[in-house]
Amino acid sequence: MFDRDIWQEIFNTLKKNKLRTFLTGFSVGWAIFILVMLLASVNGMQNGFVGQFNDDATNSIFVRPGTTAKAYAGFEAGRRIQFKSDDVEYIKQSFADDVEYISARYFSNTTARYKSETGSYPIQAVHPEFQIIEKLIITDGRFFNEADLTNKAKVAVIGNKVAEDLFKDEDPVGNFAEFNGLPFRIIGIFIDEGDDNAERRIYAPISTYQRIYGNTNDISAIALTYNPTYDLAKALEFSGRLEDLLKRRHKVSPKDQSGLFVWNYAEAFDDISSFSAVLRAIGIGVGFLILIAGIVGIGNIMVFTIKERTKEIGVRKALGARPKQIVNLVLLESIFITTLSGFIGLLFAWMILAAIGPTIETPAFSNPNVSGSTVVTATIVLIVAGVMAGLIPAIKAANVKPIVALRDK
Amino acid sequence: MGSNSLHVLKGINFNAEAGELVAIMGSSGSGKSTLLNILGMLDGADSGEYILDGVPIKDLSETKAAQYRNKFLGFVFQSFNLINYKSAMENVALPLYYQGVPRKERQEKALKYLERVGLREWATHLPSELSGGQKQRVAIARAMAAEPKVLLADEPTGALDSTTSYEVMDLIQKINDEGNTILVVTHEEDIAHMCKRIVHLKDGVIVEDKKVKQVRAEQYV
Repeated sequence: MFDRDIWQEIFNTLKKNKLRTFLTGFSVGWAIFILVMLLASVNGMQNGFVGQFNDDATNSIFVRPGTTAKAYAGFEAGRRIQFKSDDVEYIKQSFADDVEYISARYFSNTTARYKSETGSYPIQAVHPEFQIIEKLIITDGRFFNEADLTNKAKVAVIGNKVAEDLFKDEDPVGNFAEFNGLPFRIIGIFIDEGDDNAERRIYAPISTYQRIYGNTNDISAIALTYNPTYDLAKALEFSGRLEDLLKRRHKVSPKDQSGLFVWNYAEAFDDISSFSAVLRAIGIGVGFLILIAGIVGIGNIMVFTIKERTKEIGVRKALGARPKQIVNLVLLESIFITTLSGFIGLLFAWMILAAIGPTIETPAFSNPNVSGSTVVTATIVLIVAGVMAGLIPAIKAANVKPIVALRDK
Repeated sequence: MGSNSLHVLKGINFNAEAGELVAIMGSSGSGKSTLLNILGMLDGADSGEYILDGVPIKDLSETKAAQYRNKFLGFVFQSFNLINYKSAMENVALPLYYQGVPRKERQEKALKYLERVGLREWATHLPSELSGGQKQRVAIARAMAAEPKVLLADEPTGALDSTTSYEVMDLIQKINDEGNTILVVTHEEDIAHMCKRIVHLKDGVIVEDKKVKQVRAEQYV
């Protein structure tokens, strides 16, 4: 295969038909270019979508109560479901193997004041585990811990934006701010990768808030992460079980869609990945269809080349060229043109992506790129394409009868 | 071609000894090219047998035919059939390439045969830079390079003027002098008489097969 004579012949035919080689090679290069761009775009969309969900742990499940829509177990429809603290304990105990972290959430609003600065902020009273579930990044100080929870300590962790608004240039950590007139000690500042809005929040221990607001056990919602070793099927199965159990506990009809909501991130990810899988399949499909046009083009040029060289092939056969050697010659030429032009297309696509890809950063589309595996796949595809393009002409060439080819007249 | 069979050769009984120089003569349509094609394994005979150097040549696959051609036969054509983008040396080396001879050895051998046809200094030239006679000499060198049992020349002088024709025949005679078996298809009387034996074909049968006194081409050169 790496024979100088074969390459000499290939280069000779290519040199003799520069324009024709360029035009046919262009079709394959163009096809690969489009294929790579399409795949990169799908990647970009996927990156964009995944980026949207980046602010929470990807194995998280959120449960919130609703209002029943069906009468069930002696209760009228339209009953509001209220979660209690012991729901958290109940889930923890019932699903010891499934649950990784769990936290209650108590939603409220507060008017916060520090010195002369005031502002109104959403406040969430949660368990310490919530930091991991929500992927909060503490930039200064600490998140509250079990001890704060047990002591019902009046401590709070505030978002970066809250810190900027209230404390200006002062360091908030260790200072006291008034939330609805009650002094809370600021023990930490967090940022959230997800969005700016999340950084306008305040977190406080759930026990503290339950005591302040009427000594209740009420909670607004539950957030948890499941065992990270679970695959999608297992995760979905778990959230199904969780939903069934909570519905039973709160006497909600198993068929009631609005009594309570269990929202599993895995489901969203599943949707995104099946969505982008479909897009990718479409991209590959379109790319291949274009590639077929390119392959036909190369096959075409090869047929012409063979026709032009009929006599030469006849001479070769008379001199003892075996049919296999003729097939090899034609196939190698075809593979050479397809692979070379394909790589040029690939290179162009890659250069464009490398230049502009990282600058594209929108919610639905970010950093389109091609992976190494795409390049490897493309190479294999090109070689196969080259074989396909060259096969018919090669067989045609091998079947050239020397006696016909050598006829002088 | 076509569904109707056409019998071109109608019973040829012909034997050539090693070292012979045979001219096959006949007007066009007499079947001389068909005979040469069968001898050259470029075409198969419908019936009859063909034994080359003790090997029966029958029902050959394409691959086998290619191997036999490569090993046993050297071809010289009327229109030279050199490969136009290969130098004289590369053309001569081509049958050796198909024999699987390593590149360096191939080149040495090719140069040796070019030397024998007197074209060593033209080794790097392309066929387009050679005269008709030179091209045919390169073609003869190419046919000889594989050291075949039989050299088949189909109208080797057909495209050449008479002086060059004699030069080429002189070369063929000298190769024959060294003991090589050569069959020359021609329709020119003077070329035929430069061989040692003339076989006349007419309508697919041998009408005359005679030994002749060889006319040396040297004297005309």
